[in-house]
Amino acid sequence: MPVPDRSAISASDTVVELTGVWKRYRQKQRSAQLREVVRTMLRPTVRTIEALRGIDLQVQRGEIVAYAGPNGAGKSTTVKLLSGLLAPDAGSVRVFGLDPVRDRVRYVRRIGVVFGQRTELWWDHSIAASYEWKRVVWDVPRDRYERMLGFVKELLGLDEFFHTTARELSLGQKMRADLGMALLHEPEILFLDEPTLGLDVLAKRQMLQFVKDLNRERQVTVMVTSHDMSDLEQLAGRIVMIHHGNIAFDGDFDQLRRAFSDRRRLLIETAEATAPRLAGADLLHSAAGRHEYVFDASEVKIAALLEQAAAQAQVLDVETHRADIDDVIADIYLRWQHDGKAQALATDAQSSQAQPAAPPAPTDA
Amino acid sequence: MANGLARALLRILQLWRLYGAMDVIWIARDAKTFITWYITDIVVNGAAVTATLLLAERFSGIGPWAKSQVLFLLGYAVLASGLLDPFCNYNVKYVSRRLGRGQLDHTLIQPQPIWMALLTEGFSPLSGTAALLPGLVLLVWATHALHLSVTPAWIAALLLNLLASAIIILAFSYLWGSLAFWAPRSAEEISSSALRTLDQLKSFPLDGLGLGLLGGLLTVLPVGFVAWYPCRALLGIEQSAYQLFTTPIAAAIISAAAILAFRGGLKQYARTGSQRYLSFGHRR
Amino acid sequence: MATMLAPLRRYTKTAAMAATSYVGDSPLFLADYLLRLVRVLVLLSIWRTILTGRGTVSGMTLGAVLTYTLIGEAFAEQLSVRTELGNALWEGSVATRFLQPMSMVGQFASDMIGRWCFGLCAFSLPLLLLSRLLDVSPQPASPAAGGWFILSLILGTSVGLALEFIFASLAVALEQPIWFIDYVRRAVTTLLSGALVPFALLPEGIGVVFTWLPFASTASAPLRIYTGTGDAVRLLLVQVGWSILLWALARWLWQVSREKLVGFGG
Repeated sequence: MPVPDRSAISASDTVVELTGVWKRYRQKQRSAQLREVVRTMLRPTVRTIEALRGIDLQVQRGEIVAYAGPNGAGKSTTVKLLSGLLAPDAGSVRVFGLDPVRDRVRYVRRIGVVFGQRTELWWDHSIAASYEWKRVVWDVPRDRYERMLGFVKELLGLDEFFHTTARELSLGQKMRADLGMALLHEPEILFLDEPTLGLDVLAKRQMLQFVKDLNRERQVTVMVTSHDMSDLEQLAGRIVMIHHGNIAFDGDFDQLRRAFSDRRRLLIETAEATAPRLAGADLLHSAAGRHEYVFDASEVKIAALLEQAAAQAQVLDVETHRADIDDVIADIYLRWQHDGKAQALATDAQSSQAQPAAPPAPTDA
Repeated sequence: MANGLARALLRILQLWRLYGAMDVIWIARDAKTFITWYITDIVVNGAAVTATLLLAERFSGIGPWAKSQVLFLLGYAVLASGLLDPFCNYNVKYVSRRLGRGQLDHTLIQPQPIWMALLTEGFSPLSGTAALLPGLVLLVWATHALHLSVTPAWIAALLLNLLASAIIILAFSYLWGSLAFWAPRSAEEISSSALRTLDQLKSFPLDGLGLGLLGGLLTVLPVGFVAWYPCRALLGIEQSAYQLFTTPIAAAIISAAAILAFRGGLKQYARTGSQRYLSFGHRR
Repeated sequence: MATMLAPLRRYTKTAAMAATSYVGDSPLFLADYLLRLVRVLVLLSIWRTILTGRGTVSGMTLGAVLTYTLIGEAFAEQLSVRTELGNALWEGSVATRFLQPMSMVGQFASDMIGRWCFGLCAFSLPLLLLSRLLDVSPQPASPAAGGWFILSLILGTSVGLALEFIFASLAVALEQPIWFIDYVRRAVTTLLSGALVPFALLPEGIGVVFTWLPFASTASAPLRIYTGTGDAVRLLLVQVGWSILLWALARWLWQVSREKLVGFGG
């Protein structure tokens, strides 16, 4: 398959297009009671989960998109739909204009997929043997393969364990080898599902840098899911947040901060050991005269806080910075949880009076 | 069309070469593995036929089958299974394990049709051939003891029936194994249960079974076609020469059913995916 | 009293969890029982074909052989002991088992017994009830034989469990995949345990040799006691002897492989 001439392609062309995509799962519920065992076998209780509820999403060529959400939000489902492993119950999924399920064989030559919890390596073979297997099965021309092999070996530091069997590698080494393997056929788009799972700080940093270099040098479009928000913030220019199967946010990280809250950290050093009490700010920790607070800058001004601090103690030093993205996301998830509970209570109240309208039934894809 | 077929054949040969090389690398990784594997394979294949052999020895045959005829049956049975083993390693034969453990995704992300992946991924020409020699030895020994007239036509019939029996075993595994698309947890081991039953019963002559049970063993659970029925035809126990084609016809029917079931399962899988994932047995 | 019962509760809870692990899921796992039923029907027919008109063969009548086969299938899980130890080693989750406040043998044994419960209710009992329809007597040779059978079954389970731990330790020591060792063991024990073919029907001498092997203590001994075709006292003593010897070996192998065990698999 010829390498696409990326210089001739408009930088703004859309490579991923999800339109009105629905996906539902059915889960059998099991009782913990022995006396319920026969009933659950003959007439199981089934729970329907709407993993995706009519989502629309577009990704442009060359973007790095972070795809985030709490557990069970629908992230992995989206990646599986985009990888051609699942078909939507309704709506359409198109990548490069292809249907990932119907055009699977043609399609998977152009994508790379890395699942954090699954390896594509051959367990009892060396990385070299697994890579050679990849070359043959994906029919990668020898010269392209050698070029990409050199590239991934250098950037991912694979040389030291290239001839070691996969079984004997550490998790970080396996992940790096998996990432290298996903790239050998020069995919145009890379789907990374939890790629930094279980990696140490250095391994994570190396992997993230590699993905950024890949995107910059080869215009590879990247969609990455992760729970590690600081990783995503380093990597991606755009974040799409999914919640209960809906897209709750689509923008950059600064917009995310502003949209949900403008959380900041304030570090005050005082001559006194006791931390000043600041209205509008929560004390995180205090030790040896250094006190750290968190506050919402959209609701209270730093100047007002400093005024309060100065009134209570001798302020020696002040430091302020944006709240960690993990804090921002945790706040968002917490808010969603509360909203979800409130909605559930409201629904209960309503249903006791009248039947709520059912969501539209998805048509077959 | 001819072009496409030629390309597909070339591709299959190319993949067999790849997997063959990987098999050699794996089994020859150290002397201990190499020796252990072959000794134990001989032991396993020996154990599989010993019970029936000893019974035939003790009772000078089993039912209407003379000792040498039982030997022929055993050789045929071992060879029919043995023909599959070099092509069906890595749970290709026990497909319900792949499906039940959510490992089909690994096949789906490969840029080739699923049938091609399954036809080639399990190719193990070195580690999977241990049953061929004992099977061949038993068959040749029995043929000599029975003074069979070994003509080219007879050999052709033998090969056709052996291939058909091997296909029946595989198709049977896929027919039952496809249930794992709908019930991945419960049906994960259904292929191995089904094939174990086939293995345990394949080397017994089935004369003397009631019509109902025999009918079942020639249809729903085709144990009868693994060795007993084709051997009756090859040994001339059946009067009609057309019986030589019954096993191949059965192979075609069971294969068609298996393909239908598997394709139906794939459609189901595209809708539901797999909520389970276990890496055991995947490329191990 | 509560302190004495606490260990028992742990094991019974483990057994209960194992017993219900398949239930609530699709009933397709019952297909295995269907296949076992077919197997026993075929074996019964084969014995009738071979033995009709031959009278008593090495002390076994056709009736005794049929009962032997029926009981052998009804109690197949008990006569061919399998635990989750193999899977745990393969998954690499044996290490977490050491973190549970139960003995390793106790854990795996209670899990195994739990799994038996469902099979005994769903397959063994119906098969025994249907036996008259199959024209096979499910009754032991005598009430005493029935009683000794239960003791023999317990001893056979003990021998089988010891073999489980021995083979697992060997897999670790030889650094071979556990599925490979299990594959060999399964093939060999089918013949050597006497579960499939009673030793009395094998050529003279061969059956006698097999009788003295440890595998015979797992299946052949209880079945011979049940059908009254073996000296119960002698068979029980052999089982006790193998039980003591094999548990000593299993214990030693386990201790020797302990460190390797923890990191095996996964």
